[in-house]
Amino acid sequence: MNEFVQEIQARFEVLWSNPQRPDLMQIGVRQVNALPLLTWLKSNTGYFILNHFSAVDWIEDGEFQLTYLLTDYAARRSLMVCVRIDRAAPTAESVHHLWPEAVTYEQEMFEMFGISFPGSPRQGVDLLLEGWEDIPPMRRDFDTAAFAEEAFGFRPGRTHTNPRDRVAIAFGQKGFLHDH
Amino acid sequence: MTIENPHVEKETQLWVGPQHPGVTGNMAIQVWLTGDTIQRGITHVGYLHRGFEKLMERRKFIQSFPIVCRICVPEPDTNEYLLAASIEELGGITIPEKAVWLRTLVLEMSRLASLVQQIGGGAGATGLGAVPNWTYTLRDYILDSFEELTGGRVYHMYMVYGGVRRDLPVGFAERMEATLRKIEERLPYIDKVTFQSSVWRERTQGVGLTDPAWVKEMGISGPAIRAMGFARDVRRDFPYLAYPELDFSVITSTGGDIYARMEIRRHEVVESIKIIRQVLQKMPKDGPVAAPIPNVFTWRIPTGQTYVRAEASRGEMGYYTVTDGSDKVRRVHVRGASYVHGFAMAERMFEGLNIADLHPTLVSIPTCPPEMER
Repeated sequence: MNEFVQEIQARFEVLWSNPQRPDLMQIGVRQVNALPLLTWLKSNTGYFILNHFSAVDWIEDGEFQLTYLLTDYAARRSLMVCVRIDRAAPTAESVHHLWPEAVTYEQEMFEMFGISFPGSPRQGVDLLLEGWEDIPPMRRDFDTAAFAEEAFGFRPGRTHTNPRDRVAIAFGQKGFLHDH
Repeated sequence: MTIENPHVEKETQLWVGPQHPGVTGNMAIQVWLTGDTIQRGITHVGYLHRGFEKLMERRKFIQSFPIVCRICVPEPDTNEYLLAASIEELGGITIPEKAVWLRTLVLEMSRLASLVQQIGGGAGATGLGAVPNWTYTLRDYILDSFEELTGGRVYHMYMVYGGVRRDLPVGFAERMEATLRKIEERLPYIDKVTFQSSVWRERTQGVGLTDPAWVKEMGISGPAIRAMGFARDVRRDFPYLAYPELDFSVITSTGGDIYARMEIRRHEVVESIKIIRQVLQKMPKDGPVAAPIPNVFTWRIPTGQTYVRAEASRGEMGYYTVTDGSDKVRRVHVRGASYVHGFAMAERMFEGLNIADLHPTLVSIPTCPPEMER
């Protein structure tokens, strides 16, 4: 696996690498190298299956991390490619032309993190949150407690909630259903 | 045909779901038809989104177990295992031998319950009402065993960090064996009504086709990929728990149609029964069922990230988990098999499909909307 990382290093700048498990290597690359690297992996290596694609909000660093997990099923190994992008202007290149399932991954990341993938076919189309107007909810600064308080806060209920009181109203204080 | 342009077929738009017995769960398919042929279709989800991934970011590690099991109702244990395995990997915890076997047992019981349910669903989608009645009864027998072992029928929360909650009850193996025999006794009846029926074969063979070329483009997995002749199974390709020590076959077929996918499930039921018997036989009789873990209220896990995968009845399921040194996860992303199958693959399968074949096709994939929406 380390030889493979060296091969990647020779073509694209690898910022860091971490052999998490014998079957899982993690590497970090610059955003400018991400699409060329992914295209090369898909076209020239066994890592042509995109298993998973998602984002992590590193709000304290002012960055989002995009994580692509590619698997070589013949070699039974996976490669996790991590790319940091600017959180203030979160835009990344779409990979839907490489993997069709990336269309919904990118649609979801736009909705949940506000990360834009120009050219992605369903960009901006609601996937899960119809009519959502707040900040993208998977961002770390989205306050779930405040949202829940506002959306599902306490509302005054009925005047009479105790069945015993209703009986008292209907049948007097010594209603025949109680107080024997 | 329209009056304005006689060469253009009139197109009808139809919504199938989100409440429809032929759709697997609460999702909707928007299809455009000419006559009764689907020209194109789009999968719509969002009816079940409960923000599980976000909820986990706001809870301590131990508090996520009641959340993740709800990501897939028919097969919750895969989610429990993946959460436990990913946090244990990042937290540096090794589980004891006995817990390895107990987890394997529960995962395979869960797969078996889900597989028999899917066989019933597939037959039911083609109008064979008796088969779902049989298979749901069989699933209930397995749920009885789950209830005995874990205390819960549908959601078990049996796995915890470090292992499992408890050992097998006395006499569990015998009662499990009785359930396995009931399933084996019913399988020939299911075969007669479905796989050996010329009517059912006519209805399912050559219908709902997948193209082997898609395998290089998409992360297809489970019976959907094995029905195209690819022997891909996480239990064999990326062995975990006690699976390397078990003898089982990866079932494949070459039809790529509804029949092939259902046939694979039929044979996987037999393999699953075989695995459960082996686990009960080979499992260590003694030993701890859980390793000690740090105080769950103050447990902090160093910064790290991992991806852990397992074979669910629908295909590969994976958890991408990120920790940041705090007492909560930084990010969890649930990668369900249905995500690829329900969107990218299904939308290709819809093209050219007869509207009457839509439901058997969907059920044969099948999709589990909660794992698409999380």
